[in-house]
Order: sequence, then structure tokens, then C-alpha cells
Amino acid sequence: MAVAKGKKERIRRGEEDKVSILLEDLASLESYARDLFSFLPLPVCLISAIGIILDANPSFEELSGYRLEEIIGKPAEEVFDKGRLGEISKQTLEKGFVRAEELSIFTKNKKEILGSASATLRKTEEGEIVGYFLGFFNLAGIKKREKELRETQVALANILEDVEEARAKAEEEKNKTGAIIINLTDGILVFGEEDKLSLMNPLAEKFFDIKARDLIDRPISELSTFPTLKPLIKVLTEEVGEIFRKEVSLKKDLTLEMSAVPVLRKKERIGNLIILHDITREKLVEKMKTEFVSLAAHQLRTPLSAIKWTLKMLLDGDLGKITEEQRDFITKTYQSNERMITLINNLLDITRIEEGRYIYKPALTEFEPIVQFVVDSCKGEAERKKIKIEFRKPKKKSRRAMLDIEKIRLAVENLLDNAIKYTQAGGRVIVSLKNTPKEIELSVKDSGVGIPKDQQGRVFAKFFRGANVIRMATEGTGLGLFITKNIIEAHGGRIWFESEEGKGTTFYLALPIKEEFEGFLREF
Amino acid sequence: MKKILLIEDEEIMIDLLQKKLIREGYKVSVARDGEKGLKAMKEARPDLVLLDIIMPKMGGLEVMEEMAKDQELSKIPVIVVSNSGQPVELDRAQKLGAKDWLVKTEFDPQEVINKVARQIGK
Repeated sequence: MAVAKGKKERIRRGEEDKVSILLEDLASLESYARDLFSFLPLPVCLISAIGIILDANPSFEELSGYRLEEIIGKPAEEVFDKGRLGEISKQTLEKGFVRAEELSIFTKNKKEILGSASATLRKTEEGEIVGYFLGFFNLAGIKKREKELRETQVALANILEDVEEARAKAEEEKNKTGAIIINLTDGILVFGEEDKLSLMNPLAEKFFDIKARDLIDRPISELSTFPTLKPLIKVLTEEVGEIFRKEVSLKKDLTLEMSAVPVLRKKERIGNLIILHDITREKLVEKMKTEFVSLAAHQLRTPLSAIKWTLKMLLDGDLGKITEEQRDFITKTYQSNERMITLINNLLDITRIEEGRYIYKPALTEFEPIVQFVVDSCKGEAERKKIKIEFRKPKKKSRRAMLDIEKIRLAVENLLDNAIKYTQAGGRVIVSLKNTPKEIELSVKDSGVGIPKDQQGRVFAKFFRGANVIRMATEGTGLGLFITKNIIEAHGGRIWFESEEGKGTTFYLALPIKEEFEGFLREF
Repeated sequence: MKKILLIEDEEIMIDLLQKKLIREGYKVSVARDGEKGLKAMKEARPDLVLLDIIMPKMGGLEVMEEMAKDQELSKIPVIVVSNSGQPVELDRAQKLGAKDWLVKTEFDPQEVINKVARQIGK
């Protein structure tokens, strides 16, 4: 009995141990489930079979905005979308679960959150239905992202459309530009990177009698192998400078004016644009004009000579005695005639300059005596106008220069004539000669009327006359300085001036001494 | 009396020069183009020729070329009376043996006389 009792006791105790272990296990399982339930980031609630909320986890509290004590006992249809919840509830009770059904939740502050709900049936151990767990997956974030994504997509599509439009526009622009270039009445050549030819329009093809396709992408150095291109390439490779313009004679009946313009992108040179303008006709017209002026001038000289000689003989008494009054008139007529002769001579000089046959015979000469001669010959006129002329010579004798004496004399004469002509009585003219290492520099400074600032850029232009002097002196052809500049430049020299209206003008000219002049000629 | 042949086509120049030269005591004959001038030269044997450059039929430079071919004519001094005074032209005249030249617009009749006198005296 005792044994049985002991055995029984042992058994009982063993059973008790098991129960206690089980109880412990159960307790820990419950705490495990509770922990999991609390920790779960997914909002979950337990809803009874008749639709009352029995429990909710902290995630659910957070989402709904209700505290646990507020939500327990609340009818679920007050929190969820009633219709959808009914459906989910019905299905869960029938099937045991639902997966990812759309459902809205209404938070405490009346906000609707759209989500996806999954539910699973909860039964007691005895199989009695307690209710169901409902897990709610917040889709708002995803929906929002989805919406953003859709917006981004639309925006992207718009951008693509814009790009396409821009591309079409650019294409159209390119076609337009292309059409312009093709139909341009000027020839166009574009040299791109490494001086390779990147574009040539049909007119340029015609000028050079070649096909663009044979030349595109070839560097300048290779292009000179095409005979018709030679004159152009020579100019292009030998003459440097940013923007320049030059006449190029290609054939007997084709003269082009070539302009080279650097193509810049953000100040960086990325190529060269060559524009070829056909000036054959202009050259022809110019030549005809020159010939016409030359002929007309020659024809005018004969009658002018006859008049000059006749008047001179009248004045000399060769044709009989004349009265003082007659002498007076004849003298004035003679002077008018002389002015006319000067004008014609100037016109002839200009046509010679333009025909490029002006500088005729340079000889190694001293400059000073030429200047001295001109100063002396101007003294009479200066005295008559009560203007003092001063000639300042350098201490050291100047070196000689290659000069066409007649032309240089004319150039200096023009400067001095102007100085005297445009200086009022009582003024002064200072002529100075200066030696620099490579040049002889002459300056003619007057205290005259000056050249208006806005006209200073045109001083050396043909037929230029200052607005302030046109009123002052009737004489003057506007050709003197043009001729002078051409004479000086044909000698390899330079001419420039400083002037202030009302104060006076100083003209400078610099002539290279011998070695330099030869250097200048070699450049041609 | 020294004989001067004036070869010139401009009537007024002929009148003026003839008058001036005669006043100075020269004997003047006139030819109005180069061809006639050469012919007159051979007949009259002048002491000096005043020669215009641009003339009908034969110009002054051609006249000088012809003169150079003839031993007798080449001895006659020539003063060129030029209308244009272009350096190219004057240079050529000088090479062909012209003793002097004058450009009509730049000289007056007295200077012509001076130049003539310098060549052949009064």
C-alpha cells in the first residue's frame, strides 16, 4: 500500500511536474505571443464573430490613432469601411482566412487610409469560434509612391516629348541652315578641328571646280594638292590674323573676296569659316571706272593746257597789251584753271594708285633735302597767311631711304599744304624730323582748326573733307591725304595723326631706312 | 634762222606755240600727225622737233622709233610735248632719245622757249 501509495505519489508528483512545466511553457508561450503581437510592425486587431474589436497591437493603435482602451469593445464597422469589412468577415468565417483584400480604415481624426487586409480565424481549443485576427497593411505610402511614380512617368513622357520636339525643331533648323548655306550666293568653307575641311557649299564647289565629297575631312595641308585650291590655301596658311579679308584671283575671269572668320565656342577657337564672295563684276566695273577716269582726265588736260597757255601768253603780253582790269581777270581765271589742273592731276594719281602703278622709281635718297625743299616752297604762302613755319632737323644726319622723290615730295607737300590751309592767320606750323633706329619720322604740327572727333576715322578716305573746313576754304579736293597715305604705304612706311578740334593737328609719317625697305619689298 | 618742226594735232596748241616761237625768232613748220611729221622732217630737215605723243595715225613714240632707224633723222634733237606726263611714257621717250620733255599742264610757253633755246640756241 505504502509502495503503491509511494508509487502513486511519485506518479502524481511526476504528473504535477509535467503540468507545471506545461504551465510554465504555456505562460512563456503566451508571453512570446504577446511580445510578438506587441512588437509586430503590422497593425493587427482581433475582431469577434459578431464584429466587436477584442484586442489590438500597438501598431494598430498608432495607425488608427485610438488608444487600446478606446478601441476595445468598439464595433469594427466604426473603424473600417463597413461594406468591405462585412465581405472580409463573411469570407473569413466561411473559409478560415482571406488574403490581401482591399480595405479602408478610418482613423480617430477621420482620415481614410487605404490598405490591404489579411484575416485568419481564431478558435478556442474546443473549436469554438472566438473571432478573427485582421492584419492591415498600409498601402497609403505605396499608393503615394505609386502616384508619384505615375506622375514622374508622365513628367518623363512630357520631357521625352519636349526632347523630341526640340530635336525636330533642331532638325528643322539644321535643314533650314543647310538650305541657306546651299543656296547662299557666297561660297562657304568651314574648317573644323585640326584644320580639317568640314563643310563646303555647292557654290564653293563651283568656284574651285571640285566636289566637296573628295575634300571633306581632309586637312588644309592635303588640300593644296588640288590645283584650283592652291591660291586659296596659300593665303590661308601664310597669312595669319583673326579676321581678315583679301582678294584672291582664281582664274582670269574670277576674282573672289575671301573673308576668314574664326568660329568660336565660349571664346575657344573651334574652327575657321571662310566666306568667298564673287567680286569679279565689281572688279570689272572698278577697272572700267578707272579707265574712264583716266581717259576723261587725259582728255580734260588738253583743253586745260590750252587755256593755261593762252592765258599765260595773254599775261606775258605776247598777244598784245592788256589793261590792268583785264590782267586782274585773267590772273584770276589762270588761278582757277590751275586748281582745275590740280584736281585732274589728283584724279589721275588716284587712278594710278588703284591700278597699282603709282610708285615708279625709288632711289636711295636723303629725306631731309626733300622736306627742306617743300618747307621752302611753302614759305611764300605761309607768309601771305601770316603763319610761322619752323623746321626742326635732327642733330645727326638721317640715313638714306629708298624713295621715289617726286612722290615723297608730293606727300610732304600735301601735309604742309593742309597745315597752312587749315590754320588761321597768326598760327604756326612746326615741321620736325626725327631719327629712330629703323625709321625716319616726320611730323607736321599745326595750331589749326583740327579734325572733328567723329570724322577722324575717315581722314584718309578718298574725297574726305572735314565738316569744319568745307565751310572755311573752298579749295581742296579731299584727295590729298588719300594720295599721301598711298605714297607712304607704297614705300613701306606708316602715317598717322593726332588732332583736337579747335587746337590743331599733328600728322606723322615714318619711312623705313634702306635695310627695312628691302625687307618690306621681299615680303611681296 | 633755226628751223623747228612742230608735230602736234591740237589746233590751239599749234597756234600758241607757233606764235610764241615765231616771236622768239624761229622758223616754224607744222605737221598735224606723226606720218606727216616724218615726211616733213625728211623734206625740211629741221634743227629741232617738238613732238606730241598722242596723235592720230602715228603717235609721237612711233615717230621716234622711225627716226632712230634713219641715220640722218636720228641726229635731230627731239623735245617731247606730253599731255599726260605719265612716268612710263616719259621713260620710254627718254630711252628713244628725247632730249627733253614737257608736260603741257605743268609748263608755260616761256618754259618751252627756254627748253628749245637750251637745245639749239636762239
